Amino acid sequence: MYVPGSTPAHRLDPRAKLAVQVAFALAAFAHTTPRGLVVATGVVAACLWAARTPPWEALDELRLLVPFLLAGPLVETVVLGPPWLAPEQAVAPALASYRTLLVVLVAAAYVRTTPTRESQAALQWFVPGKPGRALGLCVGLVARYLTVLRADLRRTRTAMRARLGDQLPVRERMRIVAVTGLGRVFDRSDRLALAMRARCLSWNPTLPRLRLGRADAVALALATALLAWAVAPLVASTGPLVWPLA
Amino acid sequence: MSTQEQSVDLVDASTALALARVALFAALAGAFAFVSFEYPLSPAPVTLQVLAVFLAGLFLGPVWGAVSMGVYLVAGAVGLPVFANATAGVGVLFGPTGGYLLSYPLAAGVIGYVAHGGPEVRSLDEVGVPRLVAALVAGVVVIYTLGAAGLMAFGGLGLEAAVVGGAVVFLPAEAVKLAAAVGIARSDDVAMDA
Amino acid sequence: MIEVRNLVHRYGDARAVDGVSLTLADGEFVVVAGPNGSGKTTLVRHFNGLSTPDEGSVLVDGHDVTDHPVTARSSVAMVFQDPRECFVAATVGADVAFGPANLGLTHDAIEERRERALRAVRMDGREDERIDELSGGEQARVAIAGALAMDPTHLVLDEPFAGLDWPAREAVLDHLQALHERGTGVVVVTHDLRDVAASADRIVVLSDGRIALDGPLDAVEDRLAEFGVRPP
Repeated sequence: MYVPGSTPAHRLDPRAKLAVQVAFALAAFAHTTPRGLVVATGVVAACLWAARTPPWEALDELRLLVPFLLAGPLVETVVLGPPWLAPEQAVAPALASYRTLLVVLVAAAYVRTTPTRESQAALQWFVPGKPGRALGLCVGLVARYLTVLRADLRRTRTAMRARLGDQLPVRERMRIVAVTGLGRVFDRSDRLALAMRARCLSWNPTLPRLRLGRADAVALALATALLAWAVAPLVASTGPLVWPLA
Repeated sequence: MSTQEQSVDLVDASTALALARVALFAALAGAFAFVSFEYPLSPAPVTLQVLAVFLAGLFLGPVWGAVSMGVYLVAGAVGLPVFANATAGVGVLFGPTGGYLLSYPLAAGVIGYVAHGGPEVRSLDEVGVPRLVAALVAGVVVIYTLGAAGLMAFGGLGLEAAVVGGAVVFLPAEAVKLAAAVGIARSDDVAMDA
Repeated sequence: MIEVRNLVHRYGDARAVDGVSLTLADGEFVVVAGPNGSGKTTLVRHFNGLSTPDEGSVLVDGHDVTDHPVTARSSVAMVFQDPRECFVAATVGADVAFGPANLGLTHDAIEERRERALRAVRMDGREDERIDELSGGEQARVAIAGALAMDPTHLVLDEPFAGLDWPAREAVLDHLQALHERGTGVVVVTHDLRDVAASADRIVVLSDGRIALDGPLDAVEDRLAEFGVRPP
């Protein structure tokens, strides 16, 4: 979740931060080797430092992913038959899991330092025309209605429990919760559409202000370097050029 | 005033309604990710996320259904806590469970296409139960194929482990959601003007 | 000025609005009253072209609302019943800025309108607060600010007091009176006259889609009950 603050990462332009994130993910996938991941770890450390976020705090919200990250290496270590354990088989899954962990951490730094309205602005900048407008609008609406719908569903489940709904089969309980949710969605979307039209919902609104600063130049340089590093192996394997980084 | 009349490109009424529905279905998927049921045959508590994918395909049709699930992913990617356990970020999409999430727009599109017999949305009353079930089964296949592929690509699992641990064990719980979705589509509980 | 001429709105075979003609001058405080199903909500949705007439027409400042929707919607702003359902953003400032941004105004103009609108309902300085953390009364005020940011000559509110406790109703009414004093036309749609009757210049009572009564409170007061409206 977004945490208000004034760290260097908070002050960066959302477009620069998105660029770093995407370039980092590509680079990490292209270099899932011990050496590559050491370099990537350094980049992650820099990102988390810029967001003034200790890694354990960034991971705290993403606890759910940890068992999945451990599952790969553990499952692949076990073999059906003597000698039962084959640690060397766990190397590749372990590298893959660690790479994923790094990507998750960089993303967590973005999420903690970027309010929704800045992400909306960046989306409308990256996706031009009507699709970008629709996307920016819809993301804003999700930000508003997520909490509203969650509260609806919570009330439904409480009411169901009060009427001994716990004794109903799971299928029936799911159906009741889903029907409530759907009913609210259709009800609300009619009213919401009307309200948006009353406020002149248009395809060509004034877009939020975005301004690249000096710090963004550093972030964009990092994104460019990561991107070059990511495509280097591809170029090296297909072209005659020998890239120093590859 | 008259200059604004020409410069402001208003969104027409039916598109405004479609966009509102797209956004609210994406928000519903985010709210469903919070609702979990204990299910005896399932290794982890079952969330209703996939039910939202079913309903988006069935009620919005292949085009808007897919768009709505796309919005859901983008909303999560930029930091709204819409994924299971209120997680967010691009990292989740490219994490071990990212394959399931990334499959949602395609799955909603496939479900909508099969159920409505094409890109046009028709009334669900005209869709027979066998066709509904076929559509949802196709959706489940898409979700778990891409989900297992994600476990292999992002989580480093082998084929067997991914298919057994990432798909087969969840299928009984999916059957329950599928039955619930058919029940909803066939009932008069939800009124929607086409 | 809003001019409604022989307006008819049908739902299937039923005529929800059945030949209404009505002129609302700038700066008037008008209450549109009537029991549920009398057609009042359907009627006001024609004031800024959100609905299309089956017969008749509506003019805002002399322009037909069907052909000039942008003019109509910026001149006649609307606050819907249960404003909780009508916000377009999670935070106060982002929601209020929605209308002016749609009109394509400059960043400075948008900011100026947002501040002015929030000041008018005493919510200034709270731009970054989350709407779902506000009280019902505060949400109602933000909804009014969102409409005011359109810089309208008329503000139409559908059942603005429903679901609000007494202090919140008083606060909303105070803001409406202040707007009226500064020259904005206010139209309140309600089935319950208690809160607003004393502030209104004029009360229009609808019954079965037609105008049954139209005049200042003392002229219509004695006949309200006849048409299913409880006298204040």
